[in-house]
Amino acid sequence: MTEAVGRIWAIALNTFREAVRIRVLYGILVVVIGLNLLTLVLGQMATLEEARVTRDVGLAGISLFGSLTAIFLGVFLLYTEVQRRTIHGIVSKPIERWEFVIGKYVGMGLVLSVLVGVFTIAMLLMLVWQDIGVSIAVVKAIVLAWFEVLVVAAIAIFFSSFSTPFLSGIFALALWVIGRVTPDIERATLMSSQFIKNVAGIALRIVPDLHLFSVSGRVVENQPTSVHGEFVSWGYVGLASLHALGWIAGLLAFAALLFHRRDFV
Amino acid sequence: MGSSRAIVVTDLRKTYRTPFQRKKVEALRGVTFEVERGHIFGFVGPNGAGKTTTIRTLMGLIRPTSGSAELLGAPIPSRAARAKVGFLPESPYFYDYLTVTELCDLAGRLFGMPAPARAARAKLLIERVGLGDARNQNLKKYSKGMLQRAGLAQALMNDPELVVLDEPMSGLDPIGRKEVRDLILELRDQGKTVFFSTHILSDVEAITDRVAIIARGQLQAAGTPSELVAKTVLGVDVAVRLPAQVDAAELTAGADRVRRVGDELSLVLPGDTDVDAWLVRAHGAGAKVISVAPRHETLESLFLREVAGAQRGSGGADNGGPERSKAENT
Repeated sequence: MTEAVGRIWAIALNTFREAVRIRVLYGILVVVIGLNLLTLVLGQMATLEEARVTRDVGLAGISLFGSLTAIFLGVFLLYTEVQRRTIHGIVSKPIERWEFVIGKYVGMGLVLSVLVGVFTIAMLLMLVWQDIGVSIAVVKAIVLAWFEVLVVAAIAIFFSSFSTPFLSGIFALALWVIGRVTPDIERATLMSSQFIKNVAGIALRIVPDLHLFSVSGRVVENQPTSVHGEFVSWGYVGLASLHALGWIAGLLAFAALLFHRRDFV
Repeated sequence: MGSSRAIVVTDLRKTYRTPFQRKKVEALRGVTFEVERGHIFGFVGPNGAGKTTTIRTLMGLIRPTSGSAELLGAPIPSRAARAKVGFLPESPYFYDYLTVTELCDLAGRLFGMPAPARAARAKLLIERVGLGDARNQNLKKYSKGMLQRAGLAQALMNDPELVVLDEPMSGLDPIGRKEVRDLILELRDQGKTVFFSTHILSDVEAITDRVAIIARGQLQAAGTPSELVAKTVLGVDVAVRLPAQVDAAELTAGADRVRRVGDELSLVLPGDTDVDAWLVRAHGAGAKVISVAPRHETLESLFLREVAGAQRGSGGADNGGPERSKAENT
């Protein structure tokens, strides 16, 4: 087992090294930091709403740009290994293919965690700069957003294990959007026929519930929830994290299974 | 020690389907051969013959449609089969952001080597393949020949018992090719088995203990280079001194490339000629023998003949045919 961890870590470190060379990531970093700086202006325009604007923009930056980066990395990093045949030098070594898939994911997870960390620092600096202070609700929301990004990365890797970057990107993006609005879709089908409800019910069961990680402004556990006021409990954050880990494990297991069957010609 | 065979391939088949038409393409059609431990085995064939497909199947990159193979006694595609094998892929593509030291370190990690052993082995191998001065450069800046050397270094990180090289001389200049040939011989001297594919026949003749020729997904011939080329005498070069007044018509009947300059007669007798009887006749006519040299088939001519035969669909081996037997005796 220790040997497997060593091999996974070797792939993860190499993936990290590869990913940090992608210039697009630095562009995303600049955009997110710029967005956070923009809250200084937006806050001035919305009098007495500086705190709301800074938190909302900061969290949206983490969730939106974190997820988009996860899709981008997920669909490209695995695919390019196959396309450039760098994988030939790797899977010909005594490494199992599932270890390779997990290693790629862990490496991506490291990169995404660093990005989320930088986004978070940018938001916290803005909050401190404007004497708003950092509430526990913001910390919980960041943890939830981080797990959402990790689930989205697993979705992207799953599609990338058998499809092209273009299709994988479209599938992953679609799943991310649908996963975010599953309660809305459920509500929309309430007035539909039983058949539609059943189909929608089944479809929504196979889509990760990403709305669980974006709860501000929703009613959760029969309580209106907002990052600016009453927010979810740590228990909820823990359960949502477990839910995320379950999806990640499931998606990676399927990705590994599909990858296991592939020929590298 | 286990089996005396480093590689055992039995009736290996691989069939692909084209993406849209779903048309079957048989890349391997029942390949069977064995490689003894400690041998250098050359795997020869034209482009598209099935060399790389065979090698990729052995290394677990491609799953065979049917058939089986073992590396050092372990069945493919197991992890155990790859643990004691070093592999250089064809036209190696490595992570171009790494240095050769980092590439070797990555390979060492995947082989489960501890950090000090990785560092020491990488240093040794990088020097051995002549990349000592370029050790800190990214692979992106390497020429094709340098990449090939880097690939060799990473392939040897685990001090493998079996080294599988897919076109190791590809892209190398004559000096580079000689260095790779020397390295292969050095590996054999260390007791390792080397299996390499190539279409450079002079390299095969120079260093291999055994050769297999593959064409159209089937093994056409296998054996030692001398076995393969010595079994057929294509003709006999004869030179005699014959008095100018003697009529040479009887001696030159059926011969090829007859040339008579002064009292010297040179010709090529067909391979199936009874040379002793011909010499007796020549002596009887007053000739004095200058030289007699059988003209054997070269590996190149054998290769071209086997490949042409396979392409016509009439020559070469079918499964269970004589070439299969030769291959199995490898």
